[in-house]
Amino acid sequence: MALIELRRIFKSYFLHGKRIDVLRDVSLDIEKGELVSLIGPSGAGKSTFLHVLGTLDAPAAGTMTFDGRSVFTMNDAELAELRNRSIGFVFQSHFLLPEFTAVENVAMPALLRRLDRKQALHDARELLERMGLLARAEHRPGELSGGESQRVALARALVLKPTLLLADEPTGNLDPATGESIHNLLREVNRELGVTAVVVTHNEELARSMPRQLRMATGSILPVVPEGGEGEDAPLSPAVPTPPTPAAATPEATPGFPEEGGE
Amino acid sequence: MSAAQAPERSTLLHWGRVSTGVGLCWAGLMLLSHALFQRGLLGPAMAVLMPVGIALLFLLLLKPGKRPRLSYAAAATVPGVVTGVLLLVLISTDPERGLLNWTLVAGVVTWLLGAALGAWGISHRPPDAEPSPAAGAELHGRLLATTDFSWGTFLACGLGLMLAELILAGGIALLSSGVQLNQEASRALRLTPTGAILVSGLVASLVAFIAGSLGAWWSRRLAAPEATLGVLYLGTAIPALLTAAEFSPAMAQAGGPGLFEVRHAASLLGPAALGFWLAFIVLVLFLVLGITVGFVLAGSGRLDTRLGYELFIARRHVEIFRLGFLGRIFAVLLLGIVPPLLLLAIVRASEAAVERTRIRRVGVVDPLKAAASLHAQRASEGTPTSMMTTLSVGGVAVGVMALIVVMSVMSGFEGDLRDKILGTNAHAVVHSYLGEIPSYEDIAEKARKVPGVVGATPFIIQEVMVVSDANVSGAVIKGIDPQTVDTVTDVGRNILPGGSLENLVDPSRLVRRRINPDGRGAVDRRAGKRPPSPSPAPEDPVEAPVDDAPIIDDEFIQLQVPVPHIPPVPDVLPGILLGRELATQLRVVVGDRVNVVSPLSGELGPQGPMPKDRSFRVAGIFHSGMYEYDSKFVYITLQEAQSFFNVRGALGIELKVDDVDDARNISRRVVTALEGYPYRARDWGEMNQNLFSALRLEKLVMGVILSIISIVAAGLIIATVIMLVLEKRKEIAVLKALGVPDGGILKIFMAEGLQIGVAGGLIGLVSGLLWCLFIEKIGIQLDPDIYYIPALPVRLEAGQTVLAVVVAVLVSFFASLYPALQASRFDPVEGLKAE
Repeated sequence: MALIELRRIFKSYFLHGKRIDVLRDVSLDIEKGELVSLIGPSGAGKSTFLHVLGTLDAPAAGTMTFDGRSVFTMNDAELAELRNRSIGFVFQSHFLLPEFTAVENVAMPALLRRLDRKQALHDARELLERMGLLARAEHRPGELSGGESQRVALARALVLKPTLLLADEPTGNLDPATGESIHNLLREVNRELGVTAVVVTHNEELARSMPRQLRMATGSILPVVPEGGEGEDAPLSPAVPTPPTPAAATPEATPGFPEEGGE
Repeated sequence: MSAAQAPERSTLLHWGRVSTGVGLCWAGLMLLSHALFQRGLLGPAMAVLMPVGIALLFLLLLKPGKRPRLSYAAAATVPGVVTGVLLLVLISTDPERGLLNWTLVAGVVTWLLGAALGAWGISHRPPDAEPSPAAGAELHGRLLATTDFSWGTFLACGLGLMLAELILAGGIALLSSGVQLNQEASRALRLTPTGAILVSGLVASLVAFIAGSLGAWWSRRLAAPEATLGVLYLGTAIPALLTAAEFSPAMAQAGGPGLFEVRHAASLLGPAALGFWLAFIVLVLFLVLGITVGFVLAGSGRLDTRLGYELFIARRHVEIFRLGFLGRIFAVLLLGIVPPLLLLAIVRASEAAVERTRIRRVGVVDPLKAAASLHAQRASEGTPTSMMTTLSVGGVAVGVMALIVVMSVMSGFEGDLRDKILGTNAHAVVHSYLGEIPSYEDIAEKARKVPGVVGATPFIIQEVMVVSDANVSGAVIKGIDPQTVDTVTDVGRNILPGGSLENLVDPSRLVRRRINPDGRGAVDRRAGKRPPSPSPAPEDPVEAPVDDAPIIDDEFIQLQVPVPHIPPVPDVLPGILLGRELATQLRVVVGDRVNVVSPLSGELGPQGPMPKDRSFRVAGIFHSGMYEYDSKFVYITLQEAQSFFNVRGALGIELKVDDVDDARNISRRVVTALEGYPYRARDWGEMNQNLFSALRLEKLVMGVILSIISIVAAGLIIATVIMLVLEKRKEIAVLKALGVPDGGILKIFMAEGLQIGVAGGLIGLVSGLLWCLFIEKIGIQLDPDIYYIPALPVRLEAGQTVLAVVVAVLVSFFASLYPALQASRFDPVEGLKAE
């Protein structure tokens, strides 16, 4: 059985009385341990799809099972627990909590699970150390660079060893080199911890480096790109330009990301 | 074209049917009401229709999911059918008034027609324009689980409130009349009315609270419709019944002694009905509190009472508990707004100037360092939200402080008044329906043996005129037993130096003491001064007897007073105690002679009853502190009063009890010990009921008015928490993504509001206590001629002080509920979108 089974998912928005179908009859299986990339033009519903996967957004109809459990019949507390224990999020912007230091941010999922605070902070510090961020542990997000913040955010997503990692354009705000390092980290996490990961990206090249690639078209249908398609299916959507990040990319002060950081 | 028009037409038709149906229903109702009104039957008909209407409402609220047509039709027709039955009964009882019957019939028929039309219209909704592509896909669970009405919540709230009311009323009835704990008759658990109200109030509030929590937990939401209906339909029944009993003596009779106790407890604040509804409101408040707490703890589907990360996050969001921050608010509360702010402004301005100079100087050497300092300085400036936080903490603190100070001063006044009244009067008085109590010694002895009674003394009371050489005044004369009076009242202790109770017992001492050969007393009197305590009396007994005749020759006094006929005076006159004001008015001092004239002597002269008079010598002057008593009361010995008024025995026995609040029960026990008739007892509360219930009501109203400050503070808290929520939208979304349930978000923001309330409450408490201390120790002087009290009295009552803080915390709890609810319902997708 697949880790995630989506069947007949529908989701619409209403804008000025007009219905906009964002997800139209989406059905999909994601196996345990898969590394999936999701590309598509803006407004195709990639983020919505990711939010549905992450149980943050509720579709109008359809069924979804996570590890065999039916997700859409869970109540709020059960959903929150599922997110806390089994799902890690990384967003385009790091979304660290500004009032807390880096180590507290990383420890936050454990604190939300009501684990012992000392132990949680200790674990978080260890994880930061492995990612080469120990020096920044006591800094608040305002004092971190973009790459550092994103790595702290990744650490936060991974601290409780989730089964599913959802990344929504994690490199969108970063320069190509830093972005590449984050992607490497993702691949490493997938390979070594066995974390199932779904990565939304605008970067075709990065997408193609993932074992499984999905493409969302302008509508709301999700065609599966033939597996192992190394380059021949690129003409399907050649119009997508390279990362549309003109303003958001901040001058990166940090040097290269240590490759062995994951382990 | 036709395809586009068709749904419009059908929609129009649909609404036409429904609204015509509703209109017909209304018309039927009008006809029915008219017909019933004409027969004077509207009242009973309404009584029948009320429950029917409730049933209708519930049927409509029921999930119409499975058989909508059936439930709507039932909802609409059930009242019609019931009315029809009513109609049949009416027609059969009164067949000759045909026209009105026809109006009734027309009303029912119209109603049924309208109901049928409406039900048909509702069940025949026009189909949607185009079939959805999602048709057939499984509906999302959250949408499926939506329920309209939770019966469990309704019952929990309604029955819980009812139970709480029963506990309150029953508890008061039982506890204040006594519960037999075991077989021994003596060991009964009996509490004072205040204690009974407190204990049963606490239990009842707890029950209401638990009922509300259970209700909210049951439906996992705030359950406003269920709670409202529960309170209205089930909760109002008992107070309404009790209020009805107020107006119907038959019902009051049926209620028995328990109801009497409840009514007595309710009338502590004035009319009993007011008390019932106030208690109802308090219980509803606790119910609402319970619902809120239950929702906060279980709203996201699972009971979670822990507060670990919620407090951790809330404390970071609102950093209130900082010494400087709290100290500043504290200073403003103690010293007023202007001085500390002025000081702060000066300090801030000079600090900023110094810092700017420093940065400029640093900048010359190291521009980077200067930039860092500038950045740090900017960062230390507060945000608008922190400003709002300060304001709301200050608002809560001001409310609490004002409440504490004003309540304490009012309690001070009340306590002062009570002390004075109880000092001069007894706690309870035993009277006889026969008027006199001949064997008063026995009765007093029996009364003293009753547990709770610490003193008993007989008395005789009459209205008389007191005449001195200088003036005349009406007075209440009381014959007291000097041996026992001290065990009951403070009369003996209130006597100013120079006089004493012994003088009353042994008037000959008085005569000896009153030595003033050169007539200095007369000079004093002429000067119109307040009587000084008599000059140290020469001990020579030979010169003691002084005739008062020269005083009458005094020109000044002759001008003032129509000279009464004063018989030749024996040297030794019985003693009399006068109040300070009365003595001033009569211009007498200790040792002077006064005449007491009683219009009711029982002696008949040629022209009817003869006034009787008798001379007394002032044995002492007392000062109770109550103007009314000091200007109206005079005391003589019981024996004198007996012979003066021709009374055998006493007119009543005054009692002192160990617990003033329990005077009512103790005096009842005394009557029981005296075997009832002809004796009856009245306690001080009963004798001064109007005064004290007015005082309590005044305090309550004052408290409510002052709580308006807290409501303003609540507005500030709402605004502050809303600002916080808006500021933290992204964080809310992230926290939800990290696994905080809606209930957790709710708790976080409630905790932020509560922090403001707790901080404000504590600051208010401390500053209020300090103000009270200031008033008590240093004092605010009052003009004694106006207030008859030298300084503003303060009496801190632990209960009301704690209540002020609790009210502030509760207000902030309720105030933060709405914004916190908004935060918890906030869609995380929105927050994650915001870039």
